[in-house]
Amino acid sequence: MTPKNSSSNPLSCAEFQEQLPDLFAAGGSDHIDDPSLLEHLRTCENCSALVRDLQYIADQAKQLLQPTHEPSDNVWKKIQESLSSDSSYVTESNEK
Amino acid sequence: MEVQGLQMTEAKTAPGLFKRNPPIAGEAEAIERAKAGDAEAFSKLYALHKRRVYTLCLRMLGNVSEAEDMTQEAFLHLFRKIGSFRGESAFSTWLHRLTVNLVLMHLRKKGLQLVSLEETINPSEDDSPKRDFGSRDTQLAGSVDRVALERAVASLPPGYRMVFVLHDVEGFEHNEIAVMLECSTGNSKSQLHKARLKLRELLRQSESTSLADLKEAAL
Repeated sequence: MTPKNSSSNPLSCAEFQEQLPDLFAAGGSDHIDDPSLLEHLRTCENCSALVRDLQYIADQAKQLLQPTHEPSDNVWKKIQESLSSDSSYVTESNEK
Repeated sequence: MEVQGLQMTEAKTAPGLFKRNPPIAGEAEAIERAKAGDAEAFSKLYALHKRRVYTLCLRMLGNVSEAEDMTQEAFLHLFRKIGSFRGESAFSTWLHRLTVNLVLMHLRKKGLQLVSLEETINPSEDDSPKRDFGSRDTQLAGSVDRVALERAVASLPPGYRMVFVLHDVEGFEHNEIAVMLECSTGNSKSQLHKARLKLRELLRQSESTSLADLKEAAL
C-alpha cells in the first residue's frame, strides 16, 4: 500500500474502510506500510475488529474448497448415454 | 458440440493453485487412459472430481437441478477436450476453469449480464452490507463452523456470491475473475469486499440467534 495521508492528518473510519478492498487484495493487514493506515488500525477498536473479522472470513473460506455435496446418480447416467451416442468423445483426442 | 468463448487452453496458473489442488493418486494415469478413449478412465475421473465440480456449480447457481445439468455439461466437455490437457496446470484447476466458464455462459444465456457487476447484479438496498463506522460492534467469536459459513454463503446475493466463491474458495486471482466476469479488477475487489462484509453481518446474526437459543434452553 502506498502512503496516501500524512500521520499528522488522522484518517476517519470511512477513509480507512475505503482502502480495505485494495488493502486485502495486497495481502491483508500484515502488508500495510502506510503509517496513517497503521495508526488508524492501532487506535480504532471498531476498524481493527472489522479487519480481523474479514481476514477470518477469508481464511475460513478455504475450508469450503473441500466439497460437501454430491450429484445424483442420474448425472453419470446421462453422461454415459451421451458418451455412448457420440463417438467423437472417444475419437477426437486420438486425432492429435 | 463447440461452446463459443470457452477457454480450453491452459491459462497460466496463479501461484498457490497447484498447492491448493495437488494431484490425486491415480489421476495422472486415468487422464492418459482417458485421452486414449478408455471409458473406465472417464468413469474414474468422474468419480474423483464429481463432488468438487458439482459443489462449485451449486454454489455458483444456487439450484440443484441447474447444478446437475452444468455438472453433466462440464464432464462432457472435459471428455471431449481432454486431449488438449498438457499438464501445465493442476488438472482440477483446468477442470474448474472449464466449469466456471460454462456456468457463466449459461447465466449469460439466461439473460444475466455479467458485463458490469455493479449495475446488473448488485443487490438491492436491503441486501447490501451495512457500513461499519463508529459503532462498538462485537467481533465474530472466531468459531464459525463450516455449516454456518456454507449457509451464509448460500444466502449472499448472486453477484457477491460469485466473486466470493471464485476468489476466496476457488483461489482465482482478481485479474482472472475480471476476465471471466468481463469487469474491471477494481470491480472484482470491491464486490469481494462487499461479499465479506455481508457475510460478517450474516454470521454475526447467526451467532446471536444461536446464543439466544442457548440462553432460552438454559432457562
